[in-house]
Amino acid sequence: MTIFSHTQGKQKWFSRLGVSSTVASLIIFVFLPCFFLISFTFTQWPEVYTEVFANPLIGDTNWIEIQKYLGLSLRLAISAVAIDLIFGIPLAYILARKNFWGKGFLEDLITFTLVIPTSGFGFATLITWTSDVGLGALFGTGITNTIYLIPGINVPFVMLVVHIALTFPYIVKTLKAKLEDMSTLFEQASGTLGAAPVTTFRKVLFPLTIPAIFSGSVLAFARSLGETGATLVVAGVYTTAPIAVISWVSQFKFGSAAFLGSLLIIVASAIILPVEFALQKRGISSFSIFSKLKLERKLLKVEDFASRKLPRLRDAIVIFFVIIVVVVPIIVVLNSVVLSWNSDPITGNAKESVVYQLFGPSNYFSALLNATLISFSSAGIATFIAACIAIPTVFLIERYRFGRFLRAILRIPLIVPTSALGLSILLLWGPGGMQLANPGIWLIILTHIVFSVPVIVEPMLATFQGSDIPLYEGASHTLGANSYNTIESVALPLLKRGILTGVILSFTRSLGETGATFLVMGSDVTIPPLVVNMVESLAIPAALFASTYLIAISFVLLMVFRKVTSR
Amino acid sequence: MPEVKLKNVVKTFDKGRITAVDHVNLQVHDKEYLTLLGPSGCGKTTTLRMIAGLELPDEGEISIGKRLVSKLPPEYRDIGYVFQEYALFPHMDVWNNVTYGPRVKGWKEEKSDRIGREMLELVRLFERTDAFPSELSGGMRQRVALARALSSGAKLLLLDEPLGALDAKIRTDLRYEIRKLVKDLQLTAIHVTHDQAEAMAISDRIAVMRKGKILQVGTPKELYLNPQHIFVANFVGESDFLEGYISDRVEHKLTVELRGGLSVKSLNKDHKIGDKVVVAIRPEVLSITKGKKSGVNALPGHIEGFRFEGNIVRYEVRLENDDMILVVRPALMGEWLNVGEKITVGFPVEKSFVFSYPERGLRTELALE
Repeated sequence: MTIFSHTQGKQKWFSRLGVSSTVASLIIFVFLPCFFLISFTFTQWPEVYTEVFANPLIGDTNWIEIQKYLGLSLRLAISAVAIDLIFGIPLAYILARKNFWGKGFLEDLITFTLVIPTSGFGFATLITWTSDVGLGALFGTGITNTIYLIPGINVPFVMLVVHIALTFPYIVKTLKAKLEDMSTLFEQASGTLGAAPVTTFRKVLFPLTIPAIFSGSVLAFARSLGETGATLVVAGVYTTAPIAVISWVSQFKFGSAAFLGSLLIIVASAIILPVEFALQKRGISSFSIFSKLKLERKLLKVEDFASRKLPRLRDAIVIFFVIIVVVVPIIVVLNSVVLSWNSDPITGNAKESVVYQLFGPSNYFSALLNATLISFSSAGIATFIAACIAIPTVFLIERYRFGRFLRAILRIPLIVPTSALGLSILLLWGPGGMQLANPGIWLIILTHIVFSVPVIVEPMLATFQGSDIPLYEGASHTLGANSYNTIESVALPLLKRGILTGVILSFTRSLGETGATFLVMGSDVTIPPLVVNMVESLAIPAALFASTYLIAISFVLLMVFRKVTSR
Repeated sequence: MPEVKLKNVVKTFDKGRITAVDHVNLQVHDKEYLTLLGPSGCGKTTTLRMIAGLELPDEGEISIGKRLVSKLPPEYRDIGYVFQEYALFPHMDVWNNVTYGPRVKGWKEEKSDRIGREMLELVRLFERTDAFPSELSGGMRQRVALARALSSGAKLLLLDEPLGALDAKIRTDLRYEIRKLVKDLQLTAIHVTHDQAEAMAISDRIAVMRKGKILQVGTPKELYLNPQHIFVANFVGESDFLEGYISDRVEHKLTVELRGGLSVKSLNKDHKIGDKVVVAIRPEVLSITKGKKSGVNALPGHIEGFRFEGNIVRYEVRLENDDMILVVRPALMGEWLNVGEKITVGFPVEKSFVFSYPERGLRTELALE
C-alpha cells in the first residue's frame, strides 16, 4: 500500500514538473518574444515618441511614412485575400468533390508555394512579369514593371500577384479539408429537394463551411501582412510595413521600427483574433438578404443556368489561375537558367552568365553552399527544440482546462509579422537586451522556435482530435498501464503522422523565413536573404540559379511531405 | 402520375470490378407502396439512388411517369427522398429545413409557408418549428426529414432505410405512420430495407434482391406462401430445409428420399425422378407429437434445444437421420415439451415447397453476403 502511494506520489510530482516546465518554456520561448516589442515600445516611449512624432530634424515624417506603409500592407493583404477567395473556393470544391486526371499533381502545385522559400518564388514571379524572358517573351518586352500600380486599390501589380500565389493555398487547404470531412449527404439531400448545385453551394455548403473559409482567410491575411522575402524581391520603389521594419533596423532607427512592429502586431491581432473567437461551430444559419431584396427568384434562375452550363468554364478558369501564378514562374526560371548558363542570351556577355557569377570572382556558389549549411542547421535545430516544446503542449491543451485558452493564444505567434518578431527577438535576447546571443545562427534559432511551436501543434491537435486517443488511452489504463506507458505506447504512435506533418511544415517554414532572419542573422546569411541580396546587387543570373536551387529543394520537401501525409 | 420503370439497368463500381446492380427490370405502379428488400450489399440502395438520380446507371433506362430520366440530375426529377441518416441541414431550424424545397424551387412565399405548415402538421411537429435538428430525437428528426421530402410536392417518395437508425419500438410505430401518410397523400413510394418484417408490414408489393438481381416481385402474401426461389423462402420468413432426391413421382405428387431412410411427400410439377432437391417447410406449419408415430410426412426424432421468445417457443429437433430442423409453436397454446423427449414432427403435404438443389451448394445459395 505504501509502495503504491509512493509511486503514485512520484508520478504526480513528475507530471507537475512536466506541466510547469512546458508552460515555462512556452512563456519564455514563444509568448515573451511575441509581446516584448510592445512592452519595449511602452517602456522606451519617450525615445520612440521623439523619433516618430517629434524628430528635431524631420518632425513627424516617420509617422507619416508609417501610415503610408501600413496602408499599403493592409490594402495588399485585403486584395490578396479577396482574390484568393474568388479562385480558392472553387478550387477547394473541385479538389474535394471531383475526381479527375492530374488531381494529385494539381494538389502538389498548390502545396508547392507553401513549401518554397518565398524569396526564390518572388524572383521567379518578378522575371515572369517584368522581363523579356518571361510572359513578356511573347511581346519582346516585360508585360509590366514593378512600378505599375493597380488603379483604385493602389497596390503594385507584381507584388499582389506574388502575395496571391503565396497565400491562396491556405484557403484552398483549409476549405478542402473541411469539405472532405463533411459527408456529401447534405448536398444529395439538397439536390433531391430540387436545388441546382450552385444553389446548394450557396444555401448549404457555404454556410456550413464558413468557419473553415474564415480561418483559411485569416491565415492568408496574416501571411500576406507579414510577408517579407518575396516582397523585398519584387518591391521596386514601394515599401510595405514589414520591409520598413527591416530597413529602419538596418539604419539603427530602432524607435520607428519598434513602433511600426508593435502596430503590425496590434493590427494583426485586432483583425484576426475577434474573427477566430466569433466563429460559431455550427456555421451561420442562412442569408435572408436575397429573399428580402426580392432577388431570390432571379438568383435561382441564374444559379440553375450556371449549374447546367458553366462547370467546365469554372474548372478551366481555376486551372488557368494555378498555371499563371504557380506553374509559369517555375518554368520561366528553369528556362532562363538554361538560356543564360554560359552567357547572357541577349548581349552574349559571358560575365552575365550563371557560370561566371557562380564560380567567377563574386563566387556566389560558395556563398550559396554556406547559406545552405546555415539554413539547414538552423531549421533543423529550431524544429527539434520546437517539437520538444510542442508535443507536451498538445497534451496540455487536451488535458487541462486552460487548454482552450492556450490554443487560442498559440495563434498569436502565427499572425505576428515575422519582421516584427525578429526585431522583438533582437531587442529581447540580443546584445542590447539580455545579451543571450549575438546576431547569428543562435539568434536565428531562437526566432524560428517562436513560430515553429504553433506550426507543429496545429496538425498534431488535428490528429489528436481525429483519432479517438482518449478512448485508446482508457483501454490502455484498464489493461493496467500507467500514464507514462500509455503515452509512450499508445498516444505518441497514434500521433506520429501529426508530429511528422508538423515537423516538416515547421522545417520548410523555417527554411524559407526571410523577414525575421534578416534582422537576427548577423553574418550567418541563410538562403532566402542571400537571394534578396543577389537581386538587390543585380546579380540576376546568380539569383536565377539560386531560385532554381530552391525550387529543387522544395520539390524534394514536397515529396517528403506527400509521403508523410498520404495514407 | 408517377409510375416508375427500370429497364435492364446496370450499375458497376470500382471501374467495373463490382457489379452493384445487374440488369434489373422493375415496374412500380402509380400509388403503389413497393419495397426493395434484400441483405446489405444486394444493390437495393444503389437501385433507389439511381431512381433518384444520385447515381447514374451505366446501362439501361429509368423512367418516371412518361419521362425518361436516366441521365437527369436529381434536382430535375421531382422526387422526395428520405435518407437513413436524416440529412437534415444542421444550420437550419425545422421550419427552414421543411420549406427548403419550395424555396429553392422559387415558389411564392405564401405557397411555401402554407405547404410547410401542412407538412409539419401532418408529421405532428408543428410546435417544434424553431428547433434545430440537434435538439430533436431520432424519431422526430426522421419525421422532419419526411415532411421536408414531401413538401417539395413530389408524388414519388423514395425512402432509403428510413427507420434503420431508430430504436425498435419507434421503428414499428413510424413505419405504419409512413404508410398511412403515403396512402393519404396518394403517393407512389419506393422503400428500401433489409428488415423483412418491416417490408411485410408496410408494402403493397415487395421486390426481393440479392447480388444485384431481383429474384422475385410479389405481394407479401405471395412471397410468403409461394416463394419462387430458395433464397426468398429463407429470407422472407424462415424455412427448414431438407435435402434429398426424388424417388417416386405420380403426376405432381413427389416422394423425396432423405438420407438415413426417411422420406417426405410434397407437390411439384417441375422435377423428375432422380433429381437432387431441397424441400423447404415453414417452421410454424410443423406439428409436434409425443412419441414415435408413423404415417405420411412423419419424421421421428428428439428435442435437442428449447427457447422461449415471448409469443412463440422454438424447438430444435434432431431427426433420426441426424438432420436438424427448427419448429416454432405459439408459446401459450398447449404444453411445452422437454429437451431429450422423443417426438414426431409432421406437416401437411401441400405446405412444403420443392426446389432444385442449388449448383453452388445450399449454404452458398442462402448466404446473406
